[in-house]
Amino acid sequence: MDSSVHLDNVMMQFDNFVAVQKTDLKIESGEFFSFLGPSGCGKTTILNMISGFLDPTEGTVRIGGEDMRRVSANKRPTSMIFQNLALFPLMTVAENIEFGLEVRGIKKAERRKVSDRLLNLVALPECRDKRISDLSGGQKQRIAIARALAVEPRVLLLDEPLSALDLKLRQHMRTELKEIQRKTGITFIYITHDQGEALTMSDRVGVMSAGKLQQVADPVTLYRAPATPFAASFVGENNRIAGKVIAMDGKRTTLDCGVLGQLSGTSVHDLSVGESALLFIRPELLNRRTEMTENCFTAKIQELNFEGAYLMMEATPINTQSTIRAQLLSDVNIGDLATGNQVIFGFDAQDAIIMSGKSDV
Amino acid sequence: MFKQLSDRFGPMVAIGILLLMLLWLVMLVVLPQVLMIDYSLRPNLPPSQIGGPNDNYTLSNYVTLFNNQIHQTIFFKTIWSSVLVTVCTLIVCYPLAYYLAKVATPRQAALCVLLLIIPFWINEILRTFSWFIILSYRGPLNALLLGMGFIDRPIRFLSGDGGVIIGMVYAYILFMVFPLYNAIESLDGNQIKAARNLGSGWIRTHYRIIIPHAKPGIATGCIMVFMLSAGSYAVPALLGSPGSRWFTQIIYNWFFEGGDWNQGAAYAFILLLLCIGFIVLVMRLFKVGLGDIAR
Repeated sequence: MDSSVHLDNVMMQFDNFVAVQKTDLKIESGEFFSFLGPSGCGKTTILNMISGFLDPTEGTVRIGGEDMRRVSANKRPTSMIFQNLALFPLMTVAENIEFGLEVRGIKKAERRKVSDRLLNLVALPECRDKRISDLSGGQKQRIAIARALAVEPRVLLLDEPLSALDLKLRQHMRTELKEIQRKTGITFIYITHDQGEALTMSDRVGVMSAGKLQQVADPVTLYRAPATPFAASFVGENNRIAGKVIAMDGKRTTLDCGVLGQLSGTSVHDLSVGESALLFIRPELLNRRTEMTENCFTAKIQELNFEGAYLMMEATPINTQSTIRAQLLSDVNIGDLATGNQVIFGFDAQDAIIMSGKSDV
Repeated sequence: MFKQLSDRFGPMVAIGILLLMLLWLVMLVVLPQVLMIDYSLRPNLPPSQIGGPNDNYTLSNYVTLFNNQIHQTIFFKTIWSSVLVTVCTLIVCYPLAYYLAKVATPRQAALCVLLLIIPFWINEILRTFSWFIILSYRGPLNALLLGMGFIDRPIRFLSGDGGVIIGMVYAYILFMVFPLYNAIESLDGNQIKAARNLGSGWIRTHYRIIIPHAKPGIATGCIMVFMLSAGSYAVPALLGSPGSRWFTQIIYNWFFEGGDWNQGAAYAFILLLLCIGFIVLVMRLFKVGLGDIAR
């Protein structure tokens, strides 16, 4: 069955505020797609447009190729898992799961079969007749998933469902969600501000900021080759260094970064000499050097945190106010580094990404 | 309670507050009721014989009702009409409360509440009397219906119970709207969305999600409206026809026209017992406890 979701030039405007700028996106059938962005970036609005709780100001939503404009929220082949789960507190677990089937007029015996199967899928068969208030956080989570799956949606919409859980449970539920998606083969559209969640579970991630889809890519590409300054700084940690383009050799671009000297990296798009640009280098790609060579700068360690395998440090480049973060292997560095020391940091030009400063959001 | 109060305000103030409360309860609630019970259980005697050999406790005042066919009819009609008023008020108020709680923007809701409250700044007699004018045979409502061609000749709204019921629904709207509003307002909007999302239409969403959640509010509103209508005097006196007398009017007559306080007190107690019975019934029916209603 085709359960792809198309957003055809969809735009959403509330009074004078554009919540979602014109967006054109195709989410494949059976894909695990995440919208990643800070709160207020418009990702929940997109979810509401797909589920039918909001009608886009412009453009159309298509599910399985079918135009959803005239289809009201209760007739769409989507199912949503709410941030607060929104389980019905006055019904038992089984009644919650069977509600969508009851609505469709399915017989009691038939409903029971479905709820039994789903309770087994989420590994909670003993909770059948419990009240919602008697469940733990993780159990509620799973019942919400079961309830959403009971109506056999073509698309499952998840609105930050894991944000209320503690870290351990959250990590466990990530694997479980991925597993359920694989078993059921339906399209998952996942909303989160947690890049860890987006990167671990998704086939593709759409990074959003201020109502605009910044980049759509698979997690590895998104992490290694961010397309916009927002994507570069929002996904994972990144050091951002501003400068002016002074030389270009193919993709390799050299910036004049003021007191930091000349630094080279790989540009993601065409730049011209003299243009202001941003260089991004990840903390784990910064190395410690013994002497000043190319692509190096000196910084004074402000803070040093031992994190087991790694040392995480914050350092201020000499003669600047800025802070850079670096992650070094702890075993070779732990002996001789201390707060207040000066260290020479360097990086490979192909590890650093350079993009135009104008496209900054 | 004493400990809480004394921790907060010191023992003297705490004792004072509790004494006042006790005084209020005993003097203003318990004593008058006990006195009334006492009255209702004694025969109506001329002043000279009070305390005399004939002043014995008797149930005869209560038995009167069971021997008087007309009073019995009025008694049951009062109850039936009060139930009708309660149901009508609920039907009118539920959509309004839902709109206020879940649909309206804060500004619309504030405006709506203001419009609901303003008429209640006017005294009840005047408000009821204005309905007398609106519903009268040659009144504006009949004129409007005639003008729009819905009816061929004026309707006598004020003969029978119609006028009384309309007047009471209007008089007690607020007592229904606010408990309902409070109850519906406390429902998480995502519950409604979740029901929609699972395919539920509007009727089922109300019936399965919103109404069960609002049950304590519905029960509170129904009890209040029923009590008020069963005990109402002004509305039936003004809008009622001779054929639609209310039981309260009979009680009034016993007290102030018949001068038989003993008989009046007995009738009043029968009405009170009935109202308590109704509350218990409604609470059973809606499966709500006293705690839910006090929420």
